[in-house]
Amino acid sequence: MAWRNLWRQPMRTALSLLTMALAAALLVFMLSFQLGVYDTMKSNALRIFDGFARLQPPGYADDPDIRRTITDPEALAAKAEQMKGVTAAAPRATSYVILSNGERSYGAAIVGVSPARERQVSTLASTVHEGRYLKPGDTDVVVLGDALARNLKLKLGDKVTLLGSALDGTIAVDSLRLVGLFHTGIGDLDRQVAEMPLRRFQQGFAMGNTANTIALVGPSLGAVNDALPRLDRLAKANKLTIEDWGGLQPGLKQAITLDFSTSMLWYVSLVVVVVFIILNTLLMSVLERTREFGMLMAIGMRASLVGRMLWLELILLALIGTVAGVVLGGGLALWYGHAGIAVGAFEGLMAQWGLPGRLYPSLSATSALVGPAVIVVSVAVAGLIPMRRIRRLDPVKAMRAA
Amino acid sequence: MQPDTSDAHAIVTCRGVSKIYAHGAVEVRAVDGLDLDVAAGDFAALSGPSGSGKTTLLNMIGGLDRPTSGTVTVDGEDLSGLSAAHLAELRLHKIGFVFQAYNLIPVLSALENIEFVLQLLGIDAKERHDRAAAALADVGLTGMEERRPSHLSGGQQQRVAVARALVARPAIVLADEPTANLDSKSADDLVSLMAELNARSGTTFLIGTHDARVIARARRHIEMIDGKITSDTTGDLADVVQ
Ligand SMILES: Nc1ncnc2c1ncn2[C@@H]1O[C@H](COP(=O)(O)OP(=O)(O)OP(=O)(O)O)[C@@H](O)[C@H]1O
Ligand SMILES: [Mg+2]
Repeated sequence: MAWRNLWRQPMRTALSLLTMALAAALLVFMLSFQLGVYDTMKSNALRIFDGFARLQPPGYADDPDIRRTITDPEALAAKAEQMKGVTAAAPRATSYVILSNGERSYGAAIVGVSPARERQVSTLASTVHEGRYLKPGDTDVVVLGDALARNLKLKLGDKVTLLGSALDGTIAVDSLRLVGLFHTGIGDLDRQVAEMPLRRFQQGFAMGNTANTIALVGPSLGAVNDALPRLDRLAKANKLTIEDWGGLQPGLKQAITLDFSTSMLWYVSLVVVVVFIILNTLLMSVLERTREFGMLMAIGMRASLVGRMLWLELILLALIGTVAGVVLGGGLALWYGHAGIAVGAFEGLMAQWGLPGRLYPSLSATSALVGPAVIVVSVAVAGLIPMRRIRRLDPVKAMRAA
Repeated sequence: MQPDTSDAHAIVTCRGVSKIYAHGAVEVRAVDGLDLDVAAGDFAALSGPSGSGKTTLLNMIGGLDRPTSGTVTVDGEDLSGLSAAHLAELRLHKIGFVFQAYNLIPVLSALENIEFVLQLLGIDAKERHDRAAAALADVGLTGMEERRPSHLSGGQQQRVAVARALVARPAIVLADEPTANLDSKSADDLVSLMAELNARSGTTFLIGTHDARVIARARRHIEMIDGKITSDTTGDLADVVQ
């Protein structure tokens, strides 16, 4: 009966359905797009260097001191790689040093890496545009961010002097040959980072067989996030801690949170508008059907049951509308998730994290269901208002109503 | 003029029933200290000029409206103590209503309209269907089961309403101007039908009406003016059933 009542005013019902379907579709598509962009941002930003998570000694996040070390990092990296959700692990040693070329000196972060493992974790190798990346067997070589090399006036093949402080308190000095320049597009990396073979680093800084961190990646950020509890257990067993993506890129996390809260405001306004339109339509039809409600009560239907029947009509309407919207919005999101959406130059937030020119919405259970669910629930709750009116309806007055 | 009020078979008993409406500062006594008994099996017409209180009285007997003072008893149950939900239950089980118009649910077929009451009573689908079909047959509408109210004539719609009023086997059927919207032939047919159903099943009818045809067919004729009963006559049974 609720179903048939929906079609008494086919035009009005169709408009209500359309309103809800469009709103639901918009929410699904926008949310898919937004989450897709966030995914790309996170993935791009993290894959370049940080990895999706990182094993590190306690306190390293606040004070990345070379003296906080991980013993036997190769064995631990191999163990981490065995875990579900983790595909590669790369041990690293890091210190702040002074790099010089003759008169010119700049402060930089030098990272000791195992070239083969590092290539699996970080995409930095693929941004080398002059010379080559490190390879297994390398000894006294270094790759630099191109901005750093420019500042130091270095060309490929030039020697660069490294001056730092070793683990045992002595001064670490080394002379390395520049074999490659990378350009990640991320200013901090290109201006301040140098990479050299881990073994040479360990010798120069008197670290023995230790490292400072182990960077981890998986098939996706989500997979690694899911593996965090297991990784945490592994870390604890080795007196280490695990840092998730938000800890590695706090700026990005904050930016996403801010961007998301801003758009939440839009989404909430959209839902509020939809609920008002639907509620208004509902009240209109309640007024029109007052006589009928009176008659139903006269023949022995309880007021609460009349109210519930009307509410059921509303829920039915909301479900049909939002399901249509999910299909429409989800279809669009899938299609564009495949084809991508070409975007022009990025402004502000996005440019900072080096996004590509094509963005891909990613349809997930979250993006497909949260928006429509909020619409259905809001409409259902708002529908309690006319329902209460009906509960208080007096059948005699209802039947007198014109 | 009043009949014996100690009738053991009274379905409806009204004692000192008043309904007062406040029209701003003015009080309207729609029903004014009225006593009435309706016996089981009665076929009674309630007439009177417009505004005399017929509808108000029928609504109070039907538990749709509450008297300002006095008591209404239906089938042994005093309505004044009942909650709104209990009154709905009482209407469902003991009272059948036929109104002047807007009797039927427009989105349901004739059969479904009748089944609806049985559904409210919690009767299972099979029995519902059979009883509703039988009720439609009783009012001569076999073959019209699937029609929506908008595809039935006014007379046919009122017959469906009568069938629906009777299907739960109520103690009394209250009809308020059931013939007012009908042409004279349909009105005649409807009254004949109600009289016949009354004779056949013994269901009590109380019909508020202006219609002389209805009054002529009624076994008992109650007249109201200004909320009071001014005459109450019981005719001969032979006049009613032809
Ligand atoms: N809900 C109400 N509020 C105020 N006054 C009312 C209400 N219902 C009825 N009345 C008044 O009570 C009186 C009796 O009305 P009622 O409808 O019972 O008369 P009636 O005999 O059924 O008339 P009709 O033949 O026109 O149907 C009228 O004066 C009417 O104006
Ligand atoms: Mg009336």
